[in-house]
Amino acid sequence: MSEDRKQGDPVMQWVTFCLGDEKYGINVMQVQEVLRITEIAPVPGAPSYVLGIINLRGNVVTVIDTRNRFGLPSKETDDASRVVIIETDRHIIGILVDSVAEVVEMRASEIETAPNVGNEESSKYIQGVTSRDNQLLILVDLNKFLSDDEKAELDMF
Amino acid sequence: MKQKSPPGIVKQQLALDAYLQTLLDDVPEADASVEAEASPPVKASPVTSVARQPARIFVEALPPAALIAEPKVAKPQTVSPVTALAAVENPAKLQALSVMPEWSQYEFQALFFKVDQLILATPLVELSRTIKMDRKPSQIPGQPSWFLGLVDEHDCRIGVLDTNQLIFGKSRARVRNLEDSPASRILITQDKRWGLICDEILSIGKIKPDGVRWRTARQKKPWLIGTVIDELTAIVDVKQLVPHRK
Repeated sequence: MSEDRKQGDPVMQWVTFCLGDEKYGINVMQVQEVLRITEIAPVPGAPSYVLGIINLRGNVVTVIDTRNRFGLPSKETDDASRVVIIETDRHIIGILVDSVAEVVEMRASEIETAPNVGNEESSKYIQGVTSRDNQLLILVDLNKFLSDDEKAELDMF
Repeated sequence: MKQKSPPGIVKQQLALDAYLQTLLDDVPEADASVEAEASPPVKASPVTSVARQPARIFVEALPPAALIAEPKVAKPQTVSPVTALAAVENPAKLQALSVMPEWSQYEFQALFFKVDQLILATPLVELSRTIKMDRKPSQIPGQPSWFLGLVDEHDCRIGVLDTNQLIFGKSRARVRNLEDSPASRILITQDKRWGLICDEILSIGKIKPDGVRWRTARQKKPWLIGTVIDELTAIVDVKQLVPHRK
């Protein structure tokens, strides 16, 4: 790996998860743990992308409706559903996904910038795309997943 | 080609240009932004300016009508040596009237295809190939509804676009659900970066420039470059229809 870094093409590890037919990847260094679906308590007056809160060993963690965030139709949770606990800019949040797939290694050179034809703001958290097993893998930049205002709002729950 | 033009015609052309400019200037700001979202910004190249090739298409120096099915000769458009002369006085006007791709200067092969119920044509030189739409594009979150997603094809990552929405805008187009009404084929652009979905590929035909009513002023809907007079089929300048990939 150090040799790769010297060549300027570092290898990164990504946790992949599924939402509908699409597969997404997030930086493994930002994933704290993966939970089976548990009771999520709704928060009155929360934005639509907030599903609610969970008690994680005495800590209150906000769970984001990732489908809502990505503009996908909602779906009932099932046995495969998972809450991925992530750390983003010192905030610990959970993201609900349809399923968690695997951890993959990828070179930086394998990642291509996703075409952005819309509002810069609406898709700024898309870091890039790459192909994996004949399927497109969409890489998500968790640090941009929520805006600063949104993160501040989550602190109030 | 005329060497001199009567002053009356010059004035008439100037008046027409002024009127056209007024119409374009009057487009409300809100409409312009909607337009900008629905259709990509105008790309000026490749261009062949009227100044360089004066009135090759539009003036009386048109080639003899030898079109596919003896189409009626297109009524000469407003661009003429007179217009070019007038335009020299106003460089901005010259640009507005002279942005024509090179393929429009000569007879070209065009692909006729159907999007929903609409028949369109586009020059073959602007396409690299067509592929069967046998899989659902991978959707990228946060993108406009006319961007249907990405498809990997022969080492190319193609952005698939909803042609209907690009042409009619989101409000007027039927928003296509690919699961309920899958498209038939994807027309891949020459740079292999974009794909336009279509419902049916009809034919390939030759089009001669004088069989087309060209749109020379195309600030609005720059992709609509002209209409085949015989078939009344819109000719789409694909380069102007697809977005500029960031």
